[in-house]
Amino acid sequence: MAFIEIKNLFKRFKKVVAVNRIRLEVKEGEILTLLGPSGCGKTTTLRCVAGLERPEEGDIVIDGKPMFSQGFVQPSKRGIGMVFQNYAVWPHMKVFDNIVYGLRIQRIPRQSVQERGEQVLELVGLAGMGERYPNQLSGGQQQRVALARALVRNPKVLLLDEPLSNLDAKLREKMRFEIKSLVRRMGLTSVYVTHDQAEAMVISDRIVVMDSGNVAQIDTPQEIYQKPANRFVADFIGAMNFISGEIVQALPNEGVYVRTEFGERMQCKVADITEAAPGKKVYASIRPEDIEIFTERPQAKENLFKGTIAHKAYLGNFLYFFVNVNGAMIRIQVPHYVPQEEGQELYLYLNPEKCTVLF
Amino acid sequence: MSRGNLFLATLLWLVIALLVIYPLSILVLESFKIAKTGGWGLNNYLEFFQDAYYLKTFGNTLVLSVLVLLTSTLFGVPLAYILARYRLRGKTVFTALILLPIVLPAYAGAFAFVIFFGKYGTLNLLLMEAGLIQTPINFIFGLHGLVFIQALHMLPFIVLSLSAGFTNIDPSFEEAAEVEGAGDFWRFLTVTLPLCTPSYLAGAVIVFLWPFTDWLTPLILGKVDYLPSIAYINIAYHFTDMHRKYMGIVAVVVSSVVCISLFLLSRRWVEKKKYTGLSKGTTLEGRVIDPGALMKLSAYSYMFFITIIVVLIPAVLGLAAFSRRWVFEPFPTYWTLDNFRMIFLETPALIYNSFLFSGVALLFGIAFGLPAAYLIVRTQVRGKDALDFVITLMLAFPGIAVGVSYLLAFWKDIPLATHWIIMPLSLFARRLPYFLRMAHSSYLQLDISLEEASEVSGAGKLRTFINISLPLLLKGVFIGVVMFFIMAFQEITTAIFLYRGGWETLPIGIYLNWHRGMEFGIAASMAFLMVVITFILLLIISKIGGGILKAAWGPGGR
Repeated sequence: MAFIEIKNLFKRFKKVVAVNRIRLEVKEGEILTLLGPSGCGKTTTLRCVAGLERPEEGDIVIDGKPMFSQGFVQPSKRGIGMVFQNYAVWPHMKVFDNIVYGLRIQRIPRQSVQERGEQVLELVGLAGMGERYPNQLSGGQQQRVALARALVRNPKVLLLDEPLSNLDAKLREKMRFEIKSLVRRMGLTSVYVTHDQAEAMVISDRIVVMDSGNVAQIDTPQEIYQKPANRFVADFIGAMNFISGEIVQALPNEGVYVRTEFGERMQCKVADITEAAPGKKVYASIRPEDIEIFTERPQAKENLFKGTIAHKAYLGNFLYFFVNVNGAMIRIQVPHYVPQEEGQELYLYLNPEKCTVLF
Repeated sequence: MSRGNLFLATLLWLVIALLVIYPLSILVLESFKIAKTGGWGLNNYLEFFQDAYYLKTFGNTLVLSVLVLLTSTLFGVPLAYILARYRLRGKTVFTALILLPIVLPAYAGAFAFVIFFGKYGTLNLLLMEAGLIQTPINFIFGLHGLVFIQALHMLPFIVLSLSAGFTNIDPSFEEAAEVEGAGDFWRFLTVTLPLCTPSYLAGAVIVFLWPFTDWLTPLILGKVDYLPSIAYINIAYHFTDMHRKYMGIVAVVVSSVVCISLFLLSRRWVEKKKYTGLSKGTTLEGRVIDPGALMKLSAYSYMFFITIIVVLIPAVLGLAAFSRRWVFEPFPTYWTLDNFRMIFLETPALIYNSFLFSGVALLFGIAFGLPAAYLIVRTQVRGKDALDFVITLMLAFPGIAVGVSYLLAFWKDIPLATHWIIMPLSLFARRLPYFLRMAHSSYLQLDISLEEASEVSGAGKLRTFINISLPLLLKGVFIGVVMFFIMAFQEITTAIFLYRGGWETLPIGIYLNWHRGMEFGIAASMAFLMVVITFILLLIISKIGGGILKAAWGPGGR
């Protein structure tokens, strides 16, 4: 059985539906990330788990104990640890007092509070800083205080609400790995909210992509990137070419022929062949890095198109070519040393194994 | 740094030098003068602090300050919490009523409560008629009444500063405490309240200083042993008795020193403790809760209770204003417009003077405040922080110090005191910070790029100010203007020292009618008239925007 179970969760703010009857399960010891653009309901979902928002409908069960269905367990009674987006480190308390705040409420003997507090300070790399005030710490250090405070009571569940979004880019990358290894070591079941897909990829066991209050896809990072469930997910995670067209004919081995907007036939894979009825409007999609280019016409029979380089964009370690194929613009990622210039013609090979049909 | 700015700064400094620094230094100098020999020395201070009576007066004032602060805090904390956090119907109306005392003259409240709670006042008479008591209870005369009246008058300061604190706390600070397992009360005690201390303190210091300023309320309640009251009596009534005069001046200087030091200390502490959250998108209204049925009921009853006390002021004054011979009766029986006939027909000069002096003071205020706000917010002109500092300091100066220093300074060498212009000038000096603060905070909210865009388009500084800044500032400035006018209109602490025959204003008229002829009816009707005028002005403000909360406190909460 899952460690956290969310069923049929529904929450509105005034008239706006923030979370629309979603269903989620978090396995014990897993890091699950809620990923999506702002306003997709990811933070609201997390806050419902914490008890900071009261859902209108649904069930939330943590470790077999119902937190919300008919009754409502106060956040102070849920035994969770939470890291807030802005850290919420209390500025009027010293670092140590911040960290052991929850322990003191539990009326744990002074001696063990002291020990546990120092232990956690050590764990997050703030040993010896307990007597400082938060305003004497850098952003990154405050972040560690927030983390230490969330960990000090050995919570069953750790919730992290965009914990790295206030840090600068370098520190953010470093903290991703630190948080991940820390959480792993402690074997904590965690729910992590972010809008940064790279962060989600690095940190998660599984990712929940959310779109305007609904779950768009739940999968491992690899699956989400390689087999996006729909156009929204494909668009949100990484770069993707969408070529509109309609299905002409289903093929064996989960393949289809699509007549593209630029009038040529394109062979693609399709996840569910039963949905691929001829005449259906679809998007033939392929990642920019999966397209091969040739200056001379190669041997391949299928999915070979000729186009002209309309724009060339230099991004350091690689180039983007925007190639005009009969009016459709296709983005291609190539190594930085590829010499072709704007205006030159290219042959594009879109390997049918890497083309997918999305709806 | 442009020449124009420097010129402007010089001009403003000259005004400050003439109207603030010069008279206040004369006051301090005078306190070191030895009356008998004409020399200089510490004698006056030694006498003051060796005299058991003056020491007692000093102690009384401190005790009163502590009691007033405690009382207003005790009543203010729940009120501020309700206003800031609970979603309740009709909250705006309650807020407006509860905050009314901030704009009503302090003496209006004192009069009303003396009539209502006095020995043979309405409440005692009603209780005796009902047979609940045999002899009247002393509700109001004495320390307890003084604390009650002053605490109620200052309650809005506590409520406004605390509720600004409650609203501005980043919600996640409290959520973090909840997640960590803190119950409601523990969270309030360990997180919410401590985080409010800086904004609480900003209001608390103003409250604490009030008993060092208000000389009239103790007199109305028949007490004189407080620093401002004794200073007033010594200086105004015993001007020829050199000893008493100098003791009065020392009392004024001592009060000022206490006020200024406390004010500066609290400011330093607040600066050091600025708790700002990191949240990017905190909501404007902060954390608002839908209270449960029981909490709702208690919240409403509490607001209702405070509102009733506040509303007593205009109600009782109204009853007194439209009646005569209201004695030994719970309610007046003889109704008449006589009081108003007296005010409007026999002494119309009082109303005329009030409007004239406040209006002229207001013109000074605008002419000074707008350029000052501009210099302080928008330029890097040298000495602008000092300018800001001196002006803000006027918030803490007891009005009595301004009055006495003007009396001493503008008599012989610069004989301004022989012309009525001294009245608006003193009002202007005393209420300087009010207008400036409002202009200041509106200026801070005005995005500088709007002005820069105008300059890039080719407009000069002055044209930019007139075409862009002024229209955008207008709302804030207008609220500042009306607030300034209300404050100037009810001013008595300063004016009482400077007025001469023919320069009486409404507040002075109230005092004289009460004091000389015990003409309570006329005094009460004048007070009622002032309440009405104030109320109309307030209505204008809240129509224009922001409501009374913002009007009285300025955007941003400080």
